[in-house]
Amino acid sequence: MDQNFREIQQRVRRYWFKDGIGEIVVGSLFLLLALYFAGHRWLPADSNAPMMLDGSLLLILILGIFTTRRLINIFKMHITYPRTGYVEYYPDKEGLLPTQIFIFFIAIGFIFLLVVFGKWVGSFIWLPGFIGALISIILIVIRTRAIDLNRFYYLAAASLFLGLASSFSGLPAHYSISLFYALFGIVLMIWGGATLAKYLHENPLADEGTDER
Amino acid sequence: MSDDLRALTDLDRIIHEPARLLIATILSGVISADFLFIQRETGLTKGNLSAHLSKLEEAGYVKIEKTFKGKLPLTVCKLTAAGQKALAKYRQQLQDFMKKTS
Repeated sequence: MDQNFREIQQRVRRYWFKDGIGEIVVGSLFLLLALYFAGHRWLPADSNAPMMLDGSLLLILILGIFTTRRLINIFKMHITYPRTGYVEYYPDKEGLLPTQIFIFFIAIGFIFLLVVFGKWVGSFIWLPGFIGALISIILIVIRTRAIDLNRFYYLAAASLFLGLASSFSGLPAHYSISLFYALFGIVLMIWGGATLAKYLHENPLADEGTDER
Repeated sequence: MSDDLRALTDLDRIIHEPARLLIATILSGVISADFLFIQRETGLTKGNLSAHLSKLEEAGYVKIEKTFKGKLPLTVCKLTAAGQKALAKYRQQLQDFMKKTS
């Protein structure tokens, strides 16, 4: 009995992931990160450009932490809600502003630690594999919370594989990190795009709109 | 009649009806959901869903608001505090009954 209640509530929670919009938006963010890391190799070291690029990492972080969910909601408002209905979820801890600010500083601290560790070891070749494994854990946690969406297992496997492959690619550190973000960003966008296409095919827009009562 | 069976007669009839129980359960995990979403999740017809929502609204278990999300008109339903309490009590009563009779 209690299991039935939980299953219904999980099905409602799973609805948020049904359209693949999340993967598309996060994939675009990863492509921005790929450009950032590739940019470090392209730009002349003796100009101000690398410093400006460092500043843009902050911008990408802020964009990622503070606006991703809002961006996803804007797309959902135009694509998902008119087709299959609107749901307002309780904000999880990550959605609250104080938590977002906390995550922002944790992310900055984490990047700083990675840089210090990399300089201490004398190489950053391990970094794509490490990030790939980290993303893969996050995806498995999402899969556990949104039961029955096996695509997160496949994405977790892809993240781990691409991370390790980039680490062993033999490319310079900036390029291998860039390669990981670019490849995984593309995988996310393709997967999200395919999920969205399937969703749109299965749920054509109702003529009469959503206000049906 | 045994006390175990008598406990069943105390169940809240508004929540006990399967369609309304499903609606209340769907709404219990979210802040709000619109008519279209509830209709798709429950598989009820528009008229049927409307009737069940009206019953829940009359009992003070659901609040229904006509609103806009951007330019999109929505009929948004929320489970009220009384609705949450009634659903929790109903679940507890059923669990107690199952424990006593199993």
